[in-house]
Amino acid sequence: MFDRYVFTDGSCKNINENGTITGFELQTLITYYRGIPLSMVYNLDVAVDGITVPREIIRVSLDKKDWFTLNEAETVTSYKWEYGEPLYIQVLADGGLRKGTHDVRLKLAVWPAYYPVPAGGERTRAVTIN
Amino acid sequence: MSKIKRAVSLYSYQDEYATKRMSLDDILHDLSDMGAEGVEVLSDQMIHGSPHPTAETVANWKNLVSKYNLYPVSDDIFVNSTLYHNRRLTLKEQEALLKDELINAHNLGFTLVRLVSNTDAALIEPCLKLAEELNVTMALEIHAGMSFSGTLTREYLKVMKKLHTKYVGIVLDMGIFCSRYPLISRKYFSQFGLNRELADFVDDIFNQGSDPRTYISHHNGGEFDIPPEVQKMIKAPVDREFWIMASGYENTPFGIVDEYIPYVKSIHGKLYEMTDAGEEYSIPYKKIIEYLDSKNWEGYIATEYEGNRFVLPGEPVDGAGNVRRHQAMLKKYIGR
Repeated sequence: MFDRYVFTDGSCKNINENGTITGFELQTLITYYRGIPLSMVYNLDVAVDGITVPREIIRVSLDKKDWFTLNEAETVTSYKWEYGEPLYIQVLADGGLRKGTHDVRLKLAVWPAYYPVPAGGERTRAVTIN
Repeated sequence: MSKIKRAVSLYSYQDEYATKRMSLDDILHDLSDMGAEGVEVLSDQMIHGSPHPTAETVANWKNLVSKYNLYPVSDDIFVNSTLYHNRRLTLKEQEALLKDELINAHNLGFTLVRLVSNTDAALIEPCLKLAEELNVTMALEIHAGMSFSGTLTREYLKVMKKLHTKYVGIVLDMGIFCSRYPLISRKYFSQFGLNRELADFVDDIFNQGSDPRTYISHHNGGEFDIPPEVQKMIKAPVDREFWIMASGYENTPFGIVDEYIPYVKSIHGKLYEMTDAGEEYSIPYKKIIEYLDSKNWEGYIATEYEGNRFVLPGEPVDGAGNVRRHQAMLKKYIGR
């Protein structure tokens, strides 16, 4: 029911660091109706053309300054993911997404305090790399 | 003359806010424009940095409330007991978080906090002294799906009656008074292939003056058990999801509130869908307001639009329009 907030349109592109493609990035809003500490993100899953990206090469940030792996994010209680603000996601993989069009899928779940199960959503977007 | 006043919960504007179609200023202007006298906010939603917002954020909120001449009815708060993946917070940790929320609510100008359903009743007494000092009342939300009979709600009501102070009460959510199952929910699940027989079955339960929770308790007792005749109608995962969702709506008789009237600090005017005739499809507001007036109840009904959950991705959510129609309906029945 929060699917509409997953995977911000137009946010997926390759990361170009001084002429080298080091991976790709995307953004999402929260699959919930209020801001929560980053540690309450229960799961985040990226897949490209049906293949799930290894969890270890994903990192996330709320300010584009301090980045956390998903394991680290579980302990990040003092950074709040504000409602209506993006979570920045990077997938670190040399070369990033190859030229062409890809189906990029983002799945996200957070675990609010009084929910019996995590609240999540997912969306797949066709991403074209020129 | 009714003593009820109109307010709006900013929960209703969550999509407008998240997609940046409306700022906090735009939203409060909208409330003022439709004649609402009060505002309810989820500080975690629109007061960034809560429960420790900057002085500038607090000043901005207070300026807006004053600019649009709105009464700050309630701050809807949460205790993040699932802060860590590997354990629940202890009561001691939760108490510290709740105290932070009370202080924040006070700083934002509120004298009432809405505790979300399933807040642990054991937190109340340890926080009471601070609540008194700050003049902030704590009130648990009585919400459909748990109503007055949910385990944690019953524990809370016991504590509330024992303490019997104006600083501990309840907020009633009108979703407990659905006389018809929300059509918008049926339509939503139908798009995913909901079994029509099951949808009709749920409609019938409501039409007979009952609800799925009551039906389950009369038929086999287990709160989360699915009766065999319902099981037969569950042909796909969407049907199961629909049945679980349907069990979260109630058709509770008004009379259950009688003994709690003195404790009702505020009301959530739940809204799923306004009809073309200007009524809420499921909730009989005319009768509810007559009931509240007959009890001489005084306070705010805050419109809370939740139909947003049943809008398909790609289709626009119209929180502002629904709120405006709901406020017009309340005005008709309250007379102000």
